[in-house]
Amino acid sequence: MFSQIALGTMEQGLMYAIMVLGVYLTYRILDYADLSVDGSFTLGAATATSMIVGGTDPWLATGMAFIAGTLAGLFTGILHTKFKITPLLSGILTMTALYSINLRVMGRANISLLGSRTVFTDFAKFPFMEEYGVFVLCLISVVCLGAVIYFFLQTELGLALRATGDNELMIRSLGVNTDLMKILGLSLSNGLVAFAGSYVAQKLQFADASMGIGMIIAGLASVIIGEVLIGTSSIGRAIFAVICGGVIYRAIIAVVLQLGLEATDLKLITAFIVIIALVSPNIRRSLSSLLKGIQGKEAQ
Amino acid sequence: MLNVREILKTFNLGTINQKIALNKLSLELFPNDFVTVIGSNGAGKSTLLNAIAGNFFVDSGKIAIENADITRLPAHKRADMISRVFQDPLSGTAASMTIEENLIMAYRRGKTRRLRPAIGTKERDLFRVKLEKLGLGLENRLTHRVSLLSGGQRQALTLLMATLQKPKLLLLDEHTAALDPKTAEKVLELTCNVTEQEHLTTLMITHNLDHALTFGNRTIMMHEGRVILDIKGTERNNMTISNLLEMFEKASGAHMNTDRMILA
Repeated sequence: MFSQIALGTMEQGLMYAIMVLGVYLTYRILDYADLSVDGSFTLGAATATSMIVGGTDPWLATGMAFIAGTLAGLFTGILHTKFKITPLLSGILTMTALYSINLRVMGRANISLLGSRTVFTDFAKFPFMEEYGVFVLCLISVVCLGAVIYFFLQTELGLALRATGDNELMIRSLGVNTDLMKILGLSLSNGLVAFAGSYVAQKLQFADASMGIGMIIAGLASVIIGEVLIGTSSIGRAIFAVICGGVIYRAIIAVVLQLGLEATDLKLITAFIVIIALVSPNIRRSLSSLLKGIQGKEAQ
Repeated sequence: MLNVREILKTFNLGTINQKIALNKLSLELFPNDFVTVIGSNGAGKSTLLNAIAGNFFVDSGKIAIENADITRLPAHKRADMISRVFQDPLSGTAASMTIEENLIMAYRRGKTRRLRPAIGTKERDLFRVKLEKLGLGLENRLTHRVSLLSGGQRQALTLLMATLQKPKLLLLDEHTAALDPKTAEKVLELTCNVTEQEHLTTLMITHNLDHALTFGNRTIMMHEGRVILDIKGTERNNMTISNLLEMFEKASGAHMNTDRMILA
């Protein structure tokens, strides 16, 4: 029983970690809080499931989900850079538009994949993969994508992307088109998020028009949890941190559910986790200065 | 070399805050010119540099470098010709990135960024040699984040970044104003060395009249968006700070913010 839940949590955590990698690219690397994530997660799920139901190979459908996500990011990026709409609003506009698009893609509010071929049923056919297939495939995917992002961020293009988030004026004066960098970052990010959405839908064998709601907050929570617990002293460490953050976040949710809270309370809990994570550095600072004050008095 | 012809720039056009920042300003720089720019606050010095760098487009007029018209070229497409050091030491480097990462980005100034590993051994060796010349011990800290450096170290690094890939025109916007006097002298010394060695054409804004006359080969004074004084050669050699202030008052009919000019 317990090991079943633990395995399920790990599988879910690794799937969501792919989404967290995407959020990390925009939120930390580009310093851009991109709300399109809520829409593009569902877009990935919708694209993959409707294609699989239509008879497409699930691996190809997953790839198409990634591409659909990049297009969503491209749209947000163009809204922001070409039409000078603020980052938050650009994301909200894309998210809203995607809600209708997702319904169009699916043709109805939800699609069931019960009995269909998915990447997971395919992978389970490999030797020894019957029980742990989902876990192994998710692990391989996260490690590969994490490594690709790690190496990408060390390339000339990757450096330009990081500098765009750090000091836009400076990197533009060095000849980089920062608008293009933002569009690239947003596309990649939303591609990863949609990819994660397609995995989750295939695992649940189910896609729903509202499955992406609150995804950005879950992503932010995971990024922050990972950074606080593991640290960000280098790019490699930060990537490892956000992947772990995604898994830990799911573990926290699983524990909270086991404690008897309703699934409907999840969003509230998530919001609280983010609030605590955002506020804790301030509290820690004021606590430590308070402690110093007390120690100072004792010394006197 | 640089040819600025009758450029006009008005901020907040049509509002109560309307201000003519550059008033049909013309300026020509010759190869290897090191021109110091002085003028009171709001004279349009930084606006001139921003216009040349392409941070905004001018309302009218023409800007050309080596006969190539760059008036309508966005900032990032001028980067292969122009490099720049800002007043604020924080604005010239990316704080969260390492020294070598900052240097390689500057080394590729104006070039297409490719999907290939950014830094190799060859570049690292070059950076070590260049950093050693700064005499700040940064050559052993290539993989340290720039946020760990002091303001002076960051400004010296920015100066190195600006000249790593030889620019046609170097723009210095009061690049020592935010530093303590000793560090400022050091950075100025580095500036002189590099402009001489590389034969750079330079435009340097300063609030220090002494520096304005001792550094470079030519001095211009700006007032209300125009060049009101342009001296070089013997005329410049015979110029004193008090003469300069006198000329300013005569030319502009106004009193210069002398306290700041002298104390700076």
